Amino acid sequence: MIAVKNLQKSFGKNNVLRGIDTEIKKGEVVVVIGPSGSGKSTFLRCLNRLEDVTGGEILFEGQPITDKKHNIDKTREKMGMVFQQFNLFPHKSVLDNITLAPIKLQGLSKVEADKRAEALLQSVGLADKKNAYPAQLSGGQKQRIAIVRALAMQPHVMLFDEPTSALDPEMVGEVLDVMKKLAEDGMTMVIVTHEMGFAREVGDRIVFMDGGVIVEEGTPEEVFGAPKNVRTQDFLSKVL
Amino acid sequence: MLRLKRIIPMLMALLMLTLALYPGHGQANAQSASSTDEKRTLTIGLSPDFAPYEFLMTVDGKSKVVGSDVMIAEEIAKDMGAELVIREMSFDSLIPALQSGRIDMIISGMTPTDERRQNVDFSDLYYTSRQVILTRSEDVDKYKTMDALQGEQIGVQTGSIQEEIANSIPDAQVTAVKTISDVVSLLSSDRVNAAVFEGPVAEAQVKNRPGIAIAEAVPEDSDTPMAIAVQKGNTELVNEINVTLERLRATNAVDGFIQQANELNSGETAPSNIFSFFWKYRGFYADGVKYTLLLSALGVLFGFLIGLLIALLRLSGVKILKWIAVTYIEVLRGTPMLVQLLIIHFGLASAFDIKFSVLQSGIITLSLNSSAYLAEIFRAGIQNVDKGQMEAARSLGMPRGMAMRTIIIPQAIKGVLPAIGNEFVVIIKESSIVSFIGVADLMFQANAVRTLTYSGLYPLVIAAGIYLVMTLILSKLLNVLERRLSAGDSR
Repeated sequence: MIAVKNLQKSFGKNNVLRGIDTEIKKGEVVVVIGPSGSGKSTFLRCLNRLEDVTGGEILFEGQPITDKKHNIDKTREKMGMVFQQFNLFPHKSVLDNITLAPIKLQGLSKVEADKRAEALLQSVGLADKKNAYPAQLSGGQKQRIAIVRALAMQPHVMLFDEPTSALDPEMVGEVLDVMKKLAEDGMTMVIVTHEMGFAREVGDRIVFMDGGVIVEEGTPEEVFGAPKNVRTQDFLSKVL
Repeated sequence: MLRLKRIIPMLMALLMLTLALYPGHGQANAQSASSTDEKRTLTIGLSPDFAPYEFLMTVDGKSKVVGSDVMIAEEIAKDMGAELVIREMSFDSLIPALQSGRIDMIISGMTPTDERRQNVDFSDLYYTSRQVILTRSEDVDKYKTMDALQGEQIGVQTGSIQEEIANSIPDAQVTAVKTISDVVSLLSSDRVNAAVFEGPVAEAQVKNRPGIAIAEAVPEDSDTPMAIAVQKGNTELVNEINVTLERLRATNAVDGFIQQANELNSGETAPSNIFSFFWKYRGFYADGVKYTLLLSALGVLFGFLIGLLIALLRLSGVKILKWIAVTYIEVLRGTPMLVQLLIIHFGLASAFDIKFSVLQSGIITLSLNSSAYLAEIFRAGIQNVDKGQMEAARSLGMPRGMAMRTIIIPQAIKGVLPAIGNEFVVIIKESSIVSFIGVADLMFQANAVRTLTYSGLYPLVIAAGIYLVMTLILSKLLNVLERRLSAGDSR
């Protein structure tokens, strides 16, 4: 579904990504782990071109989305993204947050969009919050709404950028549960996270990044059970 | 933002309507006096603070321009079979207004000096007055000869023949102000010790204001002839005017007009209580408030839209657009609004033949000026919106423009609402500047009442009070709006 070929990204003289090659298959849950500054968030943000790439190529469903002529807005409709800071629209109600893009971009009627939003809200247990404003919600609720907002576009893949890092510990679980359910339903997901337990349980494949390259990748058993690379071993010994 | 989309065409329609409603406002041009196919109009310009030649009177609660010059103009219009239209403006705006074709002629006690002849053509002389020195009553014996005025503080009206006379007095320190009533105020408040005045004008002032008197000193060459000014080269109109003047001269009519006017100008007794004063002249203030509100509202609305556009250009990331926006902002913020107003009203007219009415010029100036300040406010507001908002919107597939409109700008405006409110208040106050070119706003009307009543304080205090009431109401309204817009924050 997504093929990444020799992806490079630099901010000025700082080379953050130094050649990433990987492939994400339909239905696969890929968890990206690694120390801070390893380039894992930048990698994720390159996938939907929130960051413009410096070199290399990304193919999404066969199309080269890194091509300057490619209409990235259309592609982004198929790639949901969830941010560390939720980034809900504070001036809009929960329902409007969710229905805005489907109505504006997919031409749904208000009624259709509301129906879709309400079903999704139901599935994350927040049906009663549809008329609330983001400021009235807890962090965990906000992140669940943010996930619903992305899902309302019926994306083919979901990108998660440290979705639980800004949450109080007691709220991490409710967000991870939603993600777990999503994975069970067969959603293709790329997740950057520090939640190692979750990575081990839900991930089909673990990608360990350090210094702007993929150091090691494999099944959770391979990476967590018997890491081959010294840097992987070193990192895991600190976080586990 | 759908709402904004609906508002913009509405505003445009409103502007068109406004401009259509006031088509003749100061827009008459030189051709109208010589065109024969329609009903002719003769548009004259004058500075109505020059009793008995031209001054204001209250007739049925409304101000009306009267005086001997007006009577002469009526005779000229009658002979031409034209309808007389009078435009009031400050004396030093008269010649620019004539040159830019906004008026057909000036009849405002104007002396045909060589300097003026370079810019306009004059009719035959219709009256010759003498000049006198006006002082405070207690100083009247100090100034028996012109020599006594050497090195003295002297007040005059800007751009007048009296200013030239004052400047020719050795070592005199001349203070020039806009209106005759300002000159008298200078004198009675001890800021100057003497003032050069037209004889009949001085007599009218002495009659109506206590504490001033005419001194014995008489300026040399004090015979001051008056003539009617027309656009350079408009000999046809000069000839028509001269025919009428010849007729009036034959019967000595002008002297009679001046006497009549002097009787009209027997002085209104203005109430000594500020409340009854206000009540008596409320009609003036009500008219002025209408214009001030119209000007400020349109100035702010267009300033808002232009300002938003400029802010977006500035943040567009395209170098040339950014440069245009920055230049626009710096030029408009870095030059006085009065200069902008005069360039738009007179400069464009004489250089490019773009003739806005006074009201249009006022609205354009206020819009442009406020747009520069609002652009900077919007820029700050947009930059203060969290970067994640744009990313979230883009990640959903929204193009940049849509994300700006639906996500960023509404939050930006909410954030800077207090600053925008401040700018609205500033515009209401600053709009007073348009009285300079003759928009009959609150400030203009306050000056009219001053001239009318010979009262230096009340008309201004009342105007200040009305401005204050307007700005306070606006602040309150903005507070309410702010509270309603903060629906999303429960903190």
